[in-house]
Amino acid sequence: MRKKSSRKRPTRFRAFRLVLLIGLLLTMGLIFLVSTLGNQEFGPLHKMLFQSVGPVQKVVARSTNYFRSLKKEYVDLLRVREENTRLWAELQECRAALYKSREAMATNAMLRRLLDFKRNSRLPTVAATIIGKDPSLWFRSVIIDRGSTDGVRKGMAVVTGEGIVGQVFAVAPGYAKVLLAIAPSSAIDVLLQKSRVRGILKGTGSLTYRLEYILKTVDVAKGDRVVTAGYGGLFPTGLPVGVVSRVIRKRRGMFQEIEVKPAVDFLTLEDLLVIEQERRTLE
Amino acid sequence: MVVITFLAIGLLLVILQTTLFMPTPVWPAAPDLYYILVAYLAYRMDLLRSLVILFPLSCVLDVLSGTVLGMYPAICFGGFFLLRFMADRLPVRESLYQVPMIAVSYLVVNWLVYVVLFFLEPVVLIPWSWPLVLLRAGLIIVFSFPLFRFFERVNKRLQGGFSPLKRLRVRTGNRFR
Repeated sequence: MRKKSSRKRPTRFRAFRLVLLIGLLLTMGLIFLVSTLGNQEFGPLHKMLFQSVGPVQKVVARSTNYFRSLKKEYVDLLRVREENTRLWAELQECRAALYKSREAMATNAMLRRLLDFKRNSRLPTVAATIIGKDPSLWFRSVIIDRGSTDGVRKGMAVVTGEGIVGQVFAVAPGYAKVLLAIAPSSAIDVLLQKSRVRGILKGTGSLTYRLEYILKTVDVAKGDRVVTAGYGGLFPTGLPVGVVSRVIRKRRGMFQEIEVKPAVDFLTLEDLLVIEQERRTLE
Repeated sequence: MVVITFLAIGLLLVILQTTLFMPTPVWPAAPDLYYILVAYLAYRMDLLRSLVILFPLSCVLDVLSGTVLGMYPAICFGGFFLLRFMADRLPVRESLYQVPMIAVSYLVVNWLVYVVLFFLEPVVLIPWSWPLVLLRAGLIIVFSFPLFRFFERVNKRLQGGFSPLKRLRVRTGNRFR
């Protein structure tokens, strides 16, 4: 008997629990239905659910955002690296183009000066480029890429847009050697533009000339311009030679010691003009 | 082949000296590379071949530099015979001591040639400057080491010959013949 009653008790209890659960579910469903279909407001259940789900949603949303932004940053970084490489290459190209354009501008300015000189002087000239320089310590000369086939002859004057450079010393069919005016063996007839006094301009080997045979009685001052005299027909008259940079009057002797700064910058010589003279003049 | 190769090297050195190493017409620090070749010929090559190389080389130098013809042959041949004489007479024949001798001979020969030219044509020369000449001598010392190694390598290669058949030659086992 005892055994029978002990078997029935759990069965009853189980049935009671089932009924209770179904009742609870139905009640909750009823509440949900009423609150949903009713005044459309968040009821306590909604609020409770909302409150309990919110933090989970928040954590998941944050972590999702974090990973999403991480991925985006990584992708962006890859893109930035690519872009950086591309921009560097572009910058290099721009710099190279800038250097080229600066070089072209400088060359253009120099050639323009040569062209202006050619137009203004109205002398027949041959354009030449320096291809070699004298490495010796005792002489000053350059090699140009024009020779006798281009009409260049020994003794012809060589100039740039700024002034005189020297004269042709030796000629081959395609090339010529130019003795620079700063060479000690160079001597050119010149005039002091202000006083019209004639002198001989000699090279010193450095970047200055020495003006000789100017009497002490002549008024010479620093800054006076020196131009070619044109005697002998080698150099045309009035070509710029330089500017007086120093005048020394010694007690002894008849002449002044005059230093002239060249009009031409011998350090940047590149393109030149050879003035074609008649053969008779040269001979 | 040796003569032609060294002549070509000499011409290349002269061209480099008149172009690459001379940025401006008054540049003082251009190394006289041709003189290092002169020294190499004096130390390492026989007289006949050296003279065959030196003659056209000095003529080219005369054409490209200076206004007095014959100056460079005087420097080249003077330097060549002086170095040869010194190499024969000096007890020390190590390469290390030969390099300063090149600079010394350069100074001596240049000074002698300058003195002669000064008496013959005093107007054409730029005044002698010891600092500049010593600078050039120093540059010769600096460039001597790499150029001597280069010349030596070229010379060895030329002495060995370019024919690949020599390398493929089957040798007998007897190494004492």
